[in-house]
Amino acid sequence: MFIDFFYKLKNLGIPVSPTSFLTLHKAIETGLVMSLDDFYTASRSILIKSERYFDVFDQVFAHHFKGADLPDPSEKELAETIRFLLEFWLKDPKTLADTMGIDENQLAKLTPEELVEYFKERLKDQEGRHDGGNRWIGTGGTSPVGHSGYHPGGMRVGGISRNKSAVKVALERRYKDYSKRGPLSQAMMGEALKRLRNLVPEGPKDKVNVEASIYQTMKNAGEIEIVFDRSLRDRLKVILAIDNGGWSMEPYVQTVQTLFDHARAQFKELKIFYFHNTIYDNLWQDPGRRRDHMNVEEFVRFDPQTRFILVGDASMAPYELLARDGTIYVQDRSTMPSIERLKFLADTFARTAWLNPVPAKMWPYTPTIDMVAKIFPMFELTLDGLEEAVNHLATSHN
Amino acid sequence: MTGHHNSSRFTGASRYVLDNELAKIVNISMALEMPLLLKGEPGTGKTMLAHAIAESLGMPLVVLNVKSSMKLVEALYQYDTLTRLNDSRFGDSGRDVSNIENYIRMGKIGRAFTSDTKTVLLIDEIDKADTDFQDDMLDVLDQMEFDIIEIDKTVRAKNRPVIIITSNAKKDLSDPFLGRCNFHHIAFPDPRMMQDIIQVHFPDIDNTLAQNAIMAFYKLREMSSIEKRPATRELINWIRAMSSDPDFNPKNLDKGDIPFLGVLFKKSQDFARAVTTLARTR
Repeated sequence: MFIDFFYKLKNLGIPVSPTSFLTLHKAIETGLVMSLDDFYTASRSILIKSERYFDVFDQVFAHHFKGADLPDPSEKELAETIRFLLEFWLKDPKTLADTMGIDENQLAKLTPEELVEYFKERLKDQEGRHDGGNRWIGTGGTSPVGHSGYHPGGMRVGGISRNKSAVKVALERRYKDYSKRGPLSQAMMGEALKRLRNLVPEGPKDKVNVEASIYQTMKNAGEIEIVFDRSLRDRLKVILAIDNGGWSMEPYVQTVQTLFDHARAQFKELKIFYFHNTIYDNLWQDPGRRRDHMNVEEFVRFDPQTRFILVGDASMAPYELLARDGTIYVQDRSTMPSIERLKFLADTFARTAWLNPVPAKMWPYTPTIDMVAKIFPMFELTLDGLEEAVNHLATSHN
Repeated sequence: MTGHHNSSRFTGASRYVLDNELAKIVNISMALEMPLLLKGEPGTGKTMLAHAIAESLGMPLVVLNVKSSMKLVEALYQYDTLTRLNDSRFGDSGRDVSNIENYIRMGKIGRAFTSDTKTVLLIDEIDKADTDFQDDMLDVLDQMEFDIIEIDKTVRAKNRPVIIITSNAKKDLSDPFLGRCNFHHIAFPDPRMMQDIIQVHFPDIDNTLAQNAIMAFYKLREMSSIEKRPATRELINWIRAMSSDPDFNPKNLDKGDIPFLGVLFKKSQDFARAVTTLARTR
């Protein structure tokens, strides 16, 4: 019974175990499961062990028992991209028309539905070609509105809801905010912060634990045994460098900054710098990247044990990274290829990490991400990625 | 399973507003004799649920508050070496020093096992402990027995307790642990549910106050970049504070005049942010 259902859950990446599946059947035998509603509650509480998967569960349940659409990442990304295009078009129709190589006036004549259809056709075209020039077309990943998993699927209609209330409930997708895939959002702030709090170094075992010492001593019938505990070492220094240039990073800058700001008490020192796309001669201390800059070479003055964390999509034209005059901004001076600067920083600090809001599965499609990831250990800017990054950064000094 | 379980079905208690879904899950877990793991934002009533179950089933409640430094053995039993050493030196207590059993004290889990009646065992904030603690504890709860190594004796549960485990999700629990529990996530109540909850706590509350307070509360919760968002617990305390202030007029809440912000926001950063945001909107 329900074997199909079980495998559908498994195939979508929910860790469901055969034991729990048997337990579910035991629950059915108890006679407590008498309706589809009951089955929904019972199967969820027995099979699913984390609220992160509740959303996927809801979707599978609705699909299995009512035939609603299953999550299809590619289609959803397409929808997201289209939505972004629409928003962009509303704000700045001219640039969009120019980029897509069509007449603005012609676009203006279309109704919204026609416009969507038009975009869709264009995107399908584009996917085959992948000409790096219009990088916001084709790669759903760089779309700032998020990607599969997190958003409810922009323009898609959530199927039909009639009769069965459990299905209706499942269709509502109450748990989509808890879903673990998808980039970091304001809603996940608290959870992410807890991940960051783990960023505490461990000290040497040099603190006497009085209670344990007494217990051990008594247990030894009076022969003294002293028990030592770990003391906390100096707190960490952290430098955070954020790519705040352009719309592609816009949704994340605020989130990341607030995140680290909240965690400030955790660190001995937190410095925030800004850059655009990649680092040239200078890093900027003001978000506008105009006034206060600091030469990259001066970074050697910082404690090498400082944790250097970069946040950026690392997506750019390869020459921006490789050419000596790669910068696309006048105020950024570049006397050395950016990639050399990055290597220099990676060598300066013992522990570095690059957090990337682009989903990891899209990384292979952007050459510069690959190049940067060879220099800095790269992690997804998601809850899981953040956790991995923290683990990486917290491990011993070497 | 047995008719006994079905007859003692959980339907809610006097001070706890139960949603249907949760009641079902509690009943299924009791029937399957599996621990129920509850997760959710702090202040959504995870601990209250265990109290409510104990109250409605008429069982005594044993609470184990997990601490980060806790060893499993502390939850099971304690060997009071200090008293024994003292007794062996001075010998005036009347206890038999050569019998170690006299110096074994039951911990919370041990007490739930040795109790003559069925108990509700609440293991609160399991996520504070390390994974070893969690896994070893589940072994004990699975087998319903543990050994006291000092006296080489096995303690078996006389009655299998109803086990409720709560977690604030600071860390993820290990897979084997999760595999042995049923799971439920208590979502934050929606405004309508909140109305019921407030009604239960303040049976004769002024309607305008309740309405306005809940509305203002949800608006405050939605404020961005707040680290610790106020929860049900804070709302209840807040309403209590406001109704004890004779000068307070609930109509002002509507206008964005919010008193006692400190009751709602307990982190200084959050408090400062709330004050500035409110000042801006007024």
